[in-house]
Amino acid sequence: MDENVKTAEREVTLERLREIDDDLRLPAVPEQVSYPIETLIPEARTQTPAVGQRASRPDGRLHGLGQTKYIDDLSFPGMIHAKIKRAGISKARVKNIDVSEAEKMPGVMATLVGSEIPVNSFGPSYQDQPVMVNGTVFHAGDPVAAVAATTEQLALDALDKIKIDYEPLEAVYDPIEAMKDNAPQVHEGESNIYSSKVIQKGDVEQGFEESHRIYENTFSTQMVEHVPMEPHASIADWDGNGRVTLHSSLGRITLGRADIARTLNMPINRIRIIATVVGGNFGGKNEITTEPILALLSKKTGRPVKGVYTREDEFMSSTTRHPFIMDYKTGMSKDGKILARKVRLVCDGGAYCSWSETTLGKACILSAGPYNIENLYVEAYAVYTNKTMTGAMRGFGAPQVCFAYESQMDDMAHDLGIDPLDIRRMNAFHEGSASPTGQVLESVVVRDSLEMAAERFGWQDWKK
Amino acid sequence: MDVKLTINGEEKSASVPPETTLLRLLREEFNLTGAKIGCDVGDCGACTVIVDGIATNSCLMLAGQVQGRSIETIEGLANMDDYHPLQKNFEDLGSLQCGFCGPGIILSAKQLLDDNPDPNKEEIQDALAGNLCRCTGYTKIVEAVADAAREMRGNRKAA
Repeated sequence: MDENVKTAEREVTLERLREIDDDLRLPAVPEQVSYPIETLIPEARTQTPAVGQRASRPDGRLHGLGQTKYIDDLSFPGMIHAKIKRAGISKARVKNIDVSEAEKMPGVMATLVGSEIPVNSFGPSYQDQPVMVNGTVFHAGDPVAAVAATTEQLALDALDKIKIDYEPLEAVYDPIEAMKDNAPQVHEGESNIYSSKVIQKGDVEQGFEESHRIYENTFSTQMVEHVPMEPHASIADWDGNGRVTLHSSLGRITLGRADIARTLNMPINRIRIIATVVGGNFGGKNEITTEPILALLSKKTGRPVKGVYTREDEFMSSTTRHPFIMDYKTGMSKDGKILARKVRLVCDGGAYCSWSETTLGKACILSAGPYNIENLYVEAYAVYTNKTMTGAMRGFGAPQVCFAYESQMDDMAHDLGIDPLDIRRMNAFHEGSASPTGQVLESVVVRDSLEMAAERFGWQDWKK
Repeated sequence: MDVKLTINGEEKSASVPPETTLLRLLREEFNLTGAKIGCDVGDCGACTVIVDGIATNSCLMLAGQVQGRSIETIEGLANMDDYHPLQKNFEDLGSLQCGFCGPGIILSAKQLLDDNPDPNKEEIQDALAGNLCRCTGYTKIVEAVADAAREMRGNRKAA
């Protein structure tokens, strides 16, 4: 009985609240129009109304007026500047760091070394990257010490006063060498191989036996730096309530916030990240760099601290595109059909994992190319070396393998006397093809695209 | 050291350490942050400003060298009523993606159009050779400069 009354009362109250809510609404809000849904869903492969329309970038005007504010364009009262000392040696044990001379310089407000970082490791897949060197240097761009001073120039000058004693250790730079059993270990452990993947489909040896000819090639690609026009930059402000605000050029602020919480060993709700327009990311600003260092320098000095990478910092210590070494063995039938393919990918990960695992997976899946191959075997390894770390960069491993399989495709077409366009048309995915990992593909237009492209740029004429 | 100069038509003065570059002078003393610090060694062109009619890498010029000279920055190109045809066409064509290279490119282009109102494609490319862009590539940028030149010559393009 009582329950029913209560329910009735509650319903009345809710109804009353709705009425009040309705009374507060603007009278001018238009009635909701329901569009005929069927006209809004375009037929597959037809143009939507958006295609062909002009659209201007919402930030285009500010860019042209020079009014877009990047991190380095911001400043706060009392703000000081931080600079980072890089190791300059690719593998070493740090015996001693002496910052006392730097601290004595007029204008220098604080210094920071690796042992002062609460949790000195981070990373998107494996937490194998220290924020700052604590004991061992893994590559030449590793930060060893930081200085905060009243001007950028003073901070740079103070870096020269920091004295570090290194004991050089044996380093390894070639990923193939690094994979060997007796290779020097980049990080402590059994092996420099920190991630591997295998894709198997059909019987590759059987496929090679049935092949008319087998082609074996090795392809390699180089390390590439993103070189964003705007160098990495952040401003940290640790306030009196124990909260830290970071203005940062980070592209992935949510992930960055978790990493910063981890490294500073503080609850994530005490960290606020304010992202602005990023002056070029291309994958290189996907993880934190110096943010925890700046935050701790701000905590030490009670001032907002700005840290902007120099172009040297950018090249030495930010992530790069993975160099790959790719062995391709492909068995072809006489008429140009791919019967079997065996691929080995070695991805030179540099000193830390960063996004290598993701890159390796994607490279692996895409390494067979957009072609129907019944017998496939792919093995892939990500390997530590004492070089600048590699991470995300436009395509996550796809451009490297594309270079390899398309180069081999051309060589094979040439050798078999088949038109390079025909050999691709013959092998390309079609509607319902299965990818190397077994995903059945829909809306496959590889052949149509190839043919249209060939027609557009006059392939037949160009060939002559 | 004391520096007196004209920036966007206004006489200004500042007292700065002798190692201060024109770029730092503009950004830190006059809060004109349109010129950017990209490489700080004269490679990228993000710091380009116009000094006495010549597009110049302001990171390679010391504050002491601009004594008595006249500087144009991106902030001086537009006013509250109107903005420069270059700025308008860069916006219309979506020539800038991240925008960091934009002020430098627009000022290099402005010097070109001041000297040569009817440049061909090669002349535009040549004028922008010292400005790097990493996002969109240069096609839309070159098109926007050509469109702006056409507009400034008075042959307004049919919309």
